[in-house]
Amino acid sequence: MSDAIQELFDLAQLLAPALLTAGAVGIAASVLGVFVILRREALAALALPQAVAVGSAIGFRLGFLTIPETITVHIGWPTLPPALAVTAATVGFLAWSRRSGAQDWLLPSMYVGALCCSILIVSGAGQHLADLQNLYVGVEVAVDAHVAEYTVPAALLAAALTAALWRRWLLLAQARAAAELAGLRPQRWDALFLGLLASIVLLGTNALGIAMVLAMLFLPAAAALPWARRLPFAMLASAGFSLLFLLGGLLASYAMDWPLSQSVGGLGFAIVLMSHGLSVMSRWK
Amino acid sequence: MLVELTDSVFGYFPARSVVRVDGTVRLAPRGCLGVFGPNGAGKTTLVRGLLGLLPPMGGIVRRSESTRRGYLPQHRAIDPHWPMSAVDAATLATSGRRRFGWAIGCGSRVRRSMDLLEVSPLAERPFAKLSGGQQQRVLLAGALADDPDLLVLDEPTDGLDLASRDLLLGVLRGAIAGGLGAVVVSHNADDILALCQTVLWLEPAREPDASSVAHEIPADSLYARLSAGRAP
Repeated sequence: MSDAIQELFDLAQLLAPALLTAGAVGIAASVLGVFVILRREALAALALPQAVAVGSAIGFRLGFLTIPETITVHIGWPTLPPALAVTAATVGFLAWSRRSGAQDWLLPSMYVGALCCSILIVSGAGQHLADLQNLYVGVEVAVDAHVAEYTVPAALLAAALTAALWRRWLLLAQARAAAELAGLRPQRWDALFLGLLASIVLLGTNALGIAMVLAMLFLPAAAALPWARRLPFAMLASAGFSLLFLLGGLLASYAMDWPLSQSVGGLGFAIVLMSHGLSVMSRWK
Repeated sequence: MLVELTDSVFGYFPARSVVRVDGTVRLAPRGCLGVFGPNGAGKTTLVRGLLGLLPPMGGIVRRSESTRRGYLPQHRAIDPHWPMSAVDAATLATSGRRRFGWAIGCGSRVRRSMDLLEVSPLAERPFAKLSGGQQQRVLLAGALADDPDLLVLDEPTDGLDLASRDLLLGVLRGAIAGGLGAVVVSHNADDILALCQTVLWLEPAREPDASSVAHEIPADSLYARLSAGRAP
């Protein structure tokens, strides 16, 4: 009996960083995802993880040369500097593309270009290619305690900031002239939104992989929005759905021996379809 | 005097002037200025200049710094996919100062204003589910809630039925009589005649790189100009 309890305790200890990180990134991404969908920023949200992958591929190639080893050991993120640099450059590029009206061609081009370049950068380097593929697909979700230590509070802080500013996102999207009359600078706030999105994508991609981050950005919000009458409810429901998808995905992954990210994404997609189907049916009545 | 434009030119840098105001145009409290012109003539640019959101590229603009400015967007310009109640939508249009996006202390004033426009019972209903007339009244309630000195209304009666239009114009006439200075941008000459004493008549540019020209005319000459085939 005591062996079984000890085994369970050990398993919980082993999984705790991954579960906490997935939960925190899930909440942050799902709250942000409400605004990503409503502001029609989905293409930017799709392009950003590809930029992180390019930075990571550069990091894989350069190895530990990019960061002092003492820091590497502490943060458990050897590819951080190039990933951060490429993501920051991408955010700057996206902000410029909006001002110049170039986002319609730039975002899909960046998506495809980064998808190809990241693979090209590590082509011929077997282990790096496997690492990068895992970053994309997220079949193996393993988070060590160092990564959880900074990812969890940073993700929760981003979620709290996004949620606290909901009226501001609404005002900027719906009444830009009124926002300007109130003394706001819409371009700065747009840049802040992109920065929050990039932070979550960067942290989440490093810890959980691209598939999980995108699943958490889009699916909970897509499931919640048909039922939401006000933004606070939409954010709350979206965060709730993200935790439900994580729990359901974890159970499915454990029971069926499926990869975790894909279990979460598959379950989330099924619930999105159900949610929209029920919403359409309720309108018929 | 709320705002005075003298030979002002508005446009976008670098050096692309869109609209030029011919002569001097003034808007005082209890006054209403119509803006009438075809699509692409620079109405939006002119309005941004009037509100102080666009610095003049030439000429003189005088405006009192203490003027509280408000902007009533068209109800059609609101994206219906955003989940928000009628009160949320009304708060969008208030001219009060905002801290973290919240229009501070305007909740009760918005409610009172919604009472005046007979939309209080709709306060908690989803904005997207309201009719066009109800949506416009909700937005106007928000715009009037903070007693702005200067209010710009963009196509205020577009898509409204007769009863909603009459109610809205009645409330606006009352607000103007109470001291509001209004700028009404409309394609509907009847709206402008119902509210305004003077009109900024926009003549679109005849050549590709030229700017539109805005002349001030008396509102009661609007139909005469239109029937004389001088449609801008």
